Amino acid sequence: MHTRTNNRAAREAIFESIRSHLASSEHLNAREEAIKHKTATPSASVSEALTESTSIVDSFKASLEAVDGHCLVVHDERELVHAVDDIMRELRQTKLSSLRIAISDGPDVQRLVDLLDTDLDEVGVTPSRSDVFRFDIGISRAQAGIAETGTLLLDSSRERHRLVSLVPPVHIAILDASAIVATLSEALTLLRRDEQVSPIVTLVTGPSRTADIELTLAIGVHGPQELYVVIRS
Amino acid sequence: MNHVTSETFDQNAKAALADVQLRGALRNATSLFGRRRLAAATSLDNWEDLRSQARAIKDDVLLHLDRYLEQFVANAESRGARFHWARDAAEANAIICSLASERGARIIVKSKSMTTEETHLNDALEAADIQVVETDLGEYIIQLAEETPSHIIAPAIHKTKHQIAELFTQELGMSPTDDIAKLTSTARSTLRDRFAAADIGISGVNFGIAETGTILIVENEGNIRLTTSLPRVHIAVMGIEKLVPRFADLDIFLKLLPRSGTGQRLTTYQSFITGTKTNPESEGPEELHIVMLDNGRSRMLANPVTRQSLACIRCGACLNACPVYQQIGGHAYGSVYPGPIGAVITPQLMGLEKTQQLPYASSLCGACREVCPVKIDIPRLLLHLRSEITENSSPSVTQVKKRTSERVAFKVWRMTMTRPWLYKLSAKLGRVFQIVVVKDGKIGEVKGIARVATPLTAWTGGRDLRPIERRSFRELWRASLGKN
Repeated sequence: MHTRTNNRAAREAIFESIRSHLASSEHLNAREEAIKHKTATPSASVSEALTESTSIVDSFKASLEAVDGHCLVVHDERELVHAVDDIMRELRQTKLSSLRIAISDGPDVQRLVDLLDTDLDEVGVTPSRSDVFRFDIGISRAQAGIAETGTLLLDSSRERHRLVSLVPPVHIAILDASAIVATLSEALTLLRRDEQVSPIVTLVTGPSRTADIELTLAIGVHGPQELYVVIRS
Repeated sequence: MNHVTSETFDQNAKAALADVQLRGALRNATSLFGRRRLAAATSLDNWEDLRSQARAIKDDVLLHLDRYLEQFVANAESRGARFHWARDAAEANAIICSLASERGARIIVKSKSMTTEETHLNDALEAADIQVVETDLGEYIIQLAEETPSHIIAPAIHKTKHQIAELFTQELGMSPTDDIAKLTSTARSTLRDRFAAADIGISGVNFGIAETGTILIVENEGNIRLTTSLPRVHIAVMGIEKLVPRFADLDIFLKLLPRSGTGQRLTTYQSFITGTKTNPESEGPEELHIVMLDNGRSRMLANPVTRQSLACIRCGACLNACPVYQQIGGHAYGSVYPGPIGAVITPQLMGLEKTQQLPYASSLCGACREVCPVKIDIPRLLLHLRSEITENSSPSVTQVKKRTSERVAFKVWRMTMTRPWLYKLSAKLGRVFQIVVVKDGKIGEVKGIARVATPLTAWTGGRDLRPIERRSFRELWRASLGKN
């Protein structure tokens, strides 16, 4: 049994080992070329793309499509409902035999589902970990996007979408165009902005993939096989 | 498990060289990864700057590792994470086994972690009668086959789809197929059951962020998200060196790591986990345990040359670039860390006695140093370890004899090369006496003189040597070339 005192002893021994070995390296360090203490300078310059919202949306779309994600751009709620209806119809015709929808508690997600024309077999709101496996589609919002990589930022302290964005074979995410930043660096700044970093943030770039068998790309191994991002501009 | 050890590297390498299928698979994998890495690196115009910055950040962390560790731990603890300290592999395994048994865990799902491969955690858990399931597709395949990973980022590259199909048919009752999509979906559905039933999820860690206490784990498949989201308890195992000071530093490492590993701009998923959930109603585990493993790492801090091995971010680029790895693959190294970085890390973790051959498993060509995203000077490390082997180990009588004859040989070599008259004379003599060993215009295996010239037979055992030409360049020059 690893007791508490044992843990403290191990911790102290490791720190002691770190300090003594670092101390004994000092004369050798001097011989090495002076080690530079360059700190990383996050590119603070807000990119030009930010000022032009059309180009940032285009850039997001192109990046996402390059990694096998689907991206649609809509301009109002009516178009949004149409777009999601179209996605459902297509999925029903191609790969899904039923439409059991798991939704997050994100703003307007329930409303969107209520407005759909499509006949849904079931709608579950934030199903539990034992329940979530039987759903076909997960719908949530994304808190931000990164244009240069086509990445969604999911902050699960702001919305219960940890499981609906992950377990069902299809994930549909709704993203506001105004929440798209140009670069990864800006997204990291965004994450750090709050007093406390959220307990769980996930960056998602395209559908799940693997190349573990003969290096052949296979889409949808553990996470969603299809990722749709609907951008509301 | 077939445990191949580092002690028998020479035999392991010979066996690998004779495996035609393995060499074909390695050729495909290493050249594909290599091409993708190059394309991804050249798509950024500041690749070299990024490498230098990344190394500077890692050097800073390692030189002040105690302070960054304290900061990281304090921040993560204030957010609900619990820390466990392990001086060695056995201690790490004991910690995890007792965490599991205290919680009555029967099934554990695991995502890929080199650190737990290093400690052989699965063996320890199975001995404690706990079912542990690897969920990364490649790791799952080799767990079913009872093998070990052969590549850091593609653990099952040594297996063909036919072999995997056979394995799945036998073990999972799949109807026979060679379709990779079908194989993948079989693994998906089988593992879903395990995810749903698991009591604990165990993951590795790519980066720990000191200023926030966050751990970052990167992946493509989604099994890490499932492992860290579904079970009630998450145990993360990390080496004590895996820190970066600031959140903003990740911009650099997230540009370097996926590009160097698979040639991607960004892997599909990055999970940033900071302590436990703040709202008990939220989704996700209730407990987060972080196991900090030393296992020989703190020792490497004692010298700036060895210390740089701790900057490694486990991307696998040096494996793909290495002409030795390209031919023999990962198993021959007899360690979870193969390739050039394995040849320097394994001896430092396990001690030089059992790994003497590894620092010699390199032609010192420098390709690994060229591709390393954190600029680790692996050839220099290899030379450092070689000199430690010759200087520090207590040699046997035959080794002493060998060393003495080696010293004499190098002295004679230097005398000859620095005296033109002696050089000319020895070339003339060589030309006369080489008739003994030249056969079909080349010097092949020289069995006859094995006793007097062992180093020469070792060299010609695998290669043909060209004999000394009948006339030297100088003679040709004097005779005609120089007159035009």
